[in-house]
Amino acid sequence: MVYFLKRFAQMIFVLWTVATILFFMFRTMPGTPLAAFIDNTTTEEQQQALIEQFGLDKSLGEQYWLFLTNLMQGDLGQSFFFKKPVVEVVMEVFPNSVILTLSSLLVAYIFGIIAGAYLAWRRGSWVEGFGIPLVLTTRAAPEFWLGMVFLAYFSFHLGWLPSGGANSSGAEFSSEWARITSWDFLSHLALPAITLAIYLQGLPLLLMRSNMLNVLQEEFITMARMKGLSTWAIVIRHAARNALLPVATAFALGIGGAVGGNVVVETVFSWPGIGRLLVNAVAASDYPLAQGAFLMITAVLVVMNFIADITYHLLDPRVRVAARG
Amino acid sequence: MQRADEIALPGRGARVTAGLSRWVKGVTAIPRRDPFAFAGVLLYLIFILVAIFAESLVTHDPREILFDENYDLARNLPPGGDHILGTTFSGRDIYSQLVMGTRGALLVGVTAAVCVVTIGTIIGLIAGFFGGIVDTILMRLADIALGVPFLPFVIVLAAFLNPSQWNVVLGIALLLWPQSARVIRAQVMSLRERAFIEAARVTGAGPWRILFVHIAPNVLSLSFLYASIAVGWAILTEASISFLGFGPSDSVTWGYMLQDAYASQALGREQYYWFVPPGLCIIAVVVAGFFISRGYEEILFPKLKD
Amino acid sequence: MLLEVRDLVIEYRATRGRVRAVDRISFDVPAGAVVGVVGESGCGKTTAVRAITRVMPASAVFAGGSITLDGTDLVSLSEREMKKRLWRDIAYVPQSAMNALDPVWRVGHQIEEVLVDRGGMGRRAARARAEELFAMVGLEGKRLHDYPHQFSGGMRQRASIALALALEPQLVIADEPVTALDVVIQRQVLDTFNELQKRLNLSVILVTHDISVVAYVCDYVVVMYAGKVVEAGPVADVLAEPSHPYTMGLYNAFPELAGDERDLSPIEGSPPDLLHPPEGCRFRQRCPFATGACHTEPPEIDVGAGHRALCHRAGEAPALRTEARRAETWVGVTTE
Repeated sequence: MVYFLKRFAQMIFVLWTVATILFFMFRTMPGTPLAAFIDNTTTEEQQQALIEQFGLDKSLGEQYWLFLTNLMQGDLGQSFFFKKPVVEVVMEVFPNSVILTLSSLLVAYIFGIIAGAYLAWRRGSWVEGFGIPLVLTTRAAPEFWLGMVFLAYFSFHLGWLPSGGANSSGAEFSSEWARITSWDFLSHLALPAITLAIYLQGLPLLLMRSNMLNVLQEEFITMARMKGLSTWAIVIRHAARNALLPVATAFALGIGGAVGGNVVVETVFSWPGIGRLLVNAVAASDYPLAQGAFLMITAVLVVMNFIADITYHLLDPRVRVAARG
Repeated sequence: MQRADEIALPGRGARVTAGLSRWVKGVTAIPRRDPFAFAGVLLYLIFILVAIFAESLVTHDPREILFDENYDLARNLPPGGDHILGTTFSGRDIYSQLVMGTRGALLVGVTAAVCVVTIGTIIGLIAGFFGGIVDTILMRLADIALGVPFLPFVIVLAAFLNPSQWNVVLGIALLLWPQSARVIRAQVMSLRERAFIEAARVTGAGPWRILFVHIAPNVLSLSFLYASIAVGWAILTEASISFLGFGPSDSVTWGYMLQDAYASQALGREQYYWFVPPGLCIIAVVVAGFFISRGYEEILFPKLKD
Repeated sequence: MLLEVRDLVIEYRATRGRVRAVDRISFDVPAGAVVGVVGESGCGKTTAVRAITRVMPASAVFAGGSITLDGTDLVSLSEREMKKRLWRDIAYVPQSAMNALDPVWRVGHQIEEVLVDRGGMGRRAARARAEELFAMVGLEGKRLHDYPHQFSGGMRQRASIALALALEPQLVIADEPVTALDVVIQRQVLDTFNELQKRLNLSVILVTHDISVVAYVCDYVVVMYAGKVVEAGPVADVLAEPSHPYTMGLYNAFPELAGDERDLSPIEGSPPDLLHPPEGCRFRQRCPFATGACHTEPPEIDVGAGHRALCHRAGEAPALRTEARRAETWVGVTTE
């Protein structure tokens, strides 16, 4: 409980710091704070709205207070471009990002765990000599490039899958649930999810492999062999089961990291997610939207780190005892 | 068992050269132990040579818009003849862009790696050596840095600063130092208690002197390990940022080439010769870094092979 | 004879060469007897007994000899055939039950696993049998639902014994089964073990560095030093008339056995590096009675019924024993 509170306080502290840094980045820019966001298309009216929104006629302290209190109430301001509250715009695309992230992580972790366990079991064989460099190569490949190659081949050359977006234009659905379970949505999801999964599988794979190698050295594995248990029982029931826990923690961390890391994949596949929203907002100088999207991505990252830590800590007593020797 | 008379205080020069010679020995020991790491070193050498002699290797000015003999724009030419890898949608020579891109990639990669590892090493040294409140503050800073989503942060940076490759370097330096700092901090904490440090203290050396003359050389090899990984990260990040359109518009990088190809619908025209080579180059240089760091790690921390 | 080990050689392949961890050792285990294998750590005793199960580290190789269990040579058995015999014929009680039980499964599950997978029992029968086994080793049935980390050291060791007895094996190999426990618990666990051994007429190999444990539970003893059997025979004979200087020294190191009037005198020095073992007798550098003859391979001399010693001077054993009782005999012996 003490740990929980301490860790919770740390999470709030990190969130507050990031928000503050963002606030001051904006205020300490050379020239008037609005300079970067006002171009010739910004109307007089919009400028006035901006000044009011950010309280630019007030002192820096008051502005900061306003920013924080608005933030606490979930008010991230108005998007210049969409002319809607930022929160609304962000929440509209947020489910798409979560679905993309979760589906690719799931594929990546299932594959990574199995392949990692297999590579550990085949230690020193040609499979390992060939497999590890291959995995490192997938981690070295830029996601967006992988996406481009897939798009060119599967979408443009073979015509199997759509080339972008989350739904065909003009498609209508009775509910959000109907939308995301439709064949149309899933066929749009396939390529970006696979691209991301290929990039993401390296981490669980390497982690699982090194955990497995450690576990395989344990006395209880020797005992399992002495019991005459089948290879399957030794590898799956005893070794893999023990090696899995740190990988599960990495999964939680992965959700946090991937929501922000999706940026390029979402862009390549024109996937209407929060990463692409951020890119477009920055490109269009839609400052409140950029700030809101960034804060949202940060919040997901920090909260998932928190959850991962807490889960691990809850399971820790058993892990700690098991690790001691 | 260490006998008391072995606890002597080596001179400053001896310690620094010992640290240096250890990582030189580490680097030169790579090829024998690990063919992949050797391949990595070779790849790096090739890329470095290409970056240095880029001007003499290009066949055209990578930014020049080319025309054919009929004064038509030489756009989307397939590989062959005058253009080894063909031309882009706007009539530029792809091969020449690829060669020039090497320089940009390596420059960003190496600078970012040096920055991040320097920061990480110094913070790790100070936090580990002084401990207490200094350590607490620095480690809380590390928590914050790790709580900031990396790529989005670099994108936001690009919104505030002028589009430049150095945004990537800045972003990496600001956010990625905790990884190396934490490991080096742990290493320093264990070194602090060793006999030779105690000996230095007894002879009246000041804390900063002990830290930078006696301890720092011993973590140098660890810093190098992190640097070899950071180069790859920086190159990947630079490519992503350029691809998203936040890169500098006046220089040619691999990321820029990919963005150009994507924006000019090279995918729909299946111009693989345009967008495949830059990707392969990025993979090659990043994977080379991975291989080197793995081989180097094996030498630094040899695992017991039974 | 249930188990006959003959001229067994086990080598470890290390980067710097081959290490003979077990060098042409022979010993027998009669049915229903407890045989103690005793020696300092690193003398090859664990390697030797683990070889009987053929579950060894990847770097270990059989380099000669035979292991005959109930008339079958285990060394020449196929992998498949060997696997069939494991745990059904030969069970193992490990040194540290902490690491020998899988931390993520309930203890009961781990016993049932063996009963179902290897014993061909149904789930329900296995559960009943697990409870029966727990009762045999003095554990409450409800403890079957606990995880290993919820057990105390003594309980874990009892659970390991229950696990070993699950399939009623012919031979139980116990590797330092009580070393990790404190003295009072050691005695309790040994008593349980002893009682079960008698009741079930088990054949047991008990590996230990503690000669008082041997005195307490064993019928026969095999003394190992630097990969060799230096003395072997019935416990009563070997303890009453130790005939190898190493056994004499080992005996002195345990006050409990030697009696309080004698000074505690551990053997000075450490065992030789097996990568470069000394010529002749391996104990000579630490032996107070070494002569020039000890630079040649020592002969195996029968000193009594079923009692043999690997020593040039085994014939003079009675005289040496008198010498060996004096603590100063063991001081300042170590040579190069």
